[in-house]
Amino acid sequence: MKKYFYTDGTGNFGPFTLEELRDENLARETPVWFHELGEWKSAGSIPELTELFKMTPPPPPGSTPVTPGVPKFDFNQKPPKSWLLESVLATVLCCLPFGIIGIVYASKVENRFFSGDLEGAVRASRNAETWTYVSFFTGLVAFVVSMGIAFAVMQSHGRFPGCY
Amino acid sequence: MADSRAVIKKTLLGSIALLFLLLLAVLYKKYNPLESAFFPACPFRSLTGLLCPGCGSQRAIHHLLNFDIAGAFRENMLLVIAIPYLIAGWVIELIPRPGAVLLKWRKIFYGPRAIFFILFVIITYWILRNIL
Repeated sequence: MKKYFYTDGTGNFGPFTLEELRDENLARETPVWFHELGEWKSAGSIPELTELFKMTPPPPPGSTPVTPGVPKFDFNQKPPKSWLLESVLATVLCCLPFGIIGIVYASKVENRFFSGDLEGAVRASRNAETWTYVSFFTGLVAFVVSMGIAFAVMQSHGRFPGCY
Repeated sequence: MADSRAVIKKTLLGSIALLFLLLLAVLYKKYNPLESAFFPACPFRSLTGLLCPGCGSQRAIHHLLNFDIAGAFRENMLLVIAIPYLIAGWVIELIPRPGAVLLKWRKIFYGPRAIFFILFVIITYWILRNIL
């Protein structure tokens, strides 16, 4: 899913989904960034964001638009979601290789973020997210299959295997 | 319209997940995975005969749900330690605009160095529980 960042000129905020961005009260002039965009652009100039401003009137005639400078990278913001917690959970619940891969990507998210590479951090975050879902669904499938086998055995034996 | 549909979808998915979790909790509280065959076995252990860092976590959850913390600790110490750490982390994640102080603590406990430490702990535990 596409994740958006925006800046107020000093701090960066995000990642947000389009849904979450609705609650952030962006202005048309607010610089917005996402991976495919490459550079900061004002929210009003991005086609899929125009629906955010349906309820906001355009700037009054004759006013000069605010031109924000190049946003400074600010370490005093939350890094992109590292999926560390979910990966640790997967590891201690035994979805083995995927949990560890998730932790490695979490470490990439944090390292890249704190060396100023926001874009790289966001990329690692997306990889970490993928591995979290892989762990989760592998675990779910393993659980359902294991339950299914047990019930099949129970059908033929008349009781839960191993339950006395 | 799109908004309300998204909210309905979220609520529905959330309720299903919650129900499933509750069902799991009841199952894991009632049955000890050691004595019942209907819990999944660890693939790593089945393949190699060695314990993985997650082995024993199902039994540990069974003990935890029956308030036997010492028993859970014996089955999988890592899981018992991880639970408060994970809960604290998720609470911090839920705060929408964390201040500088909170971010500093977040970096200490969940930042780059912390992750290296976690990997080190997991791998050490993995090795030690197989040779001790």
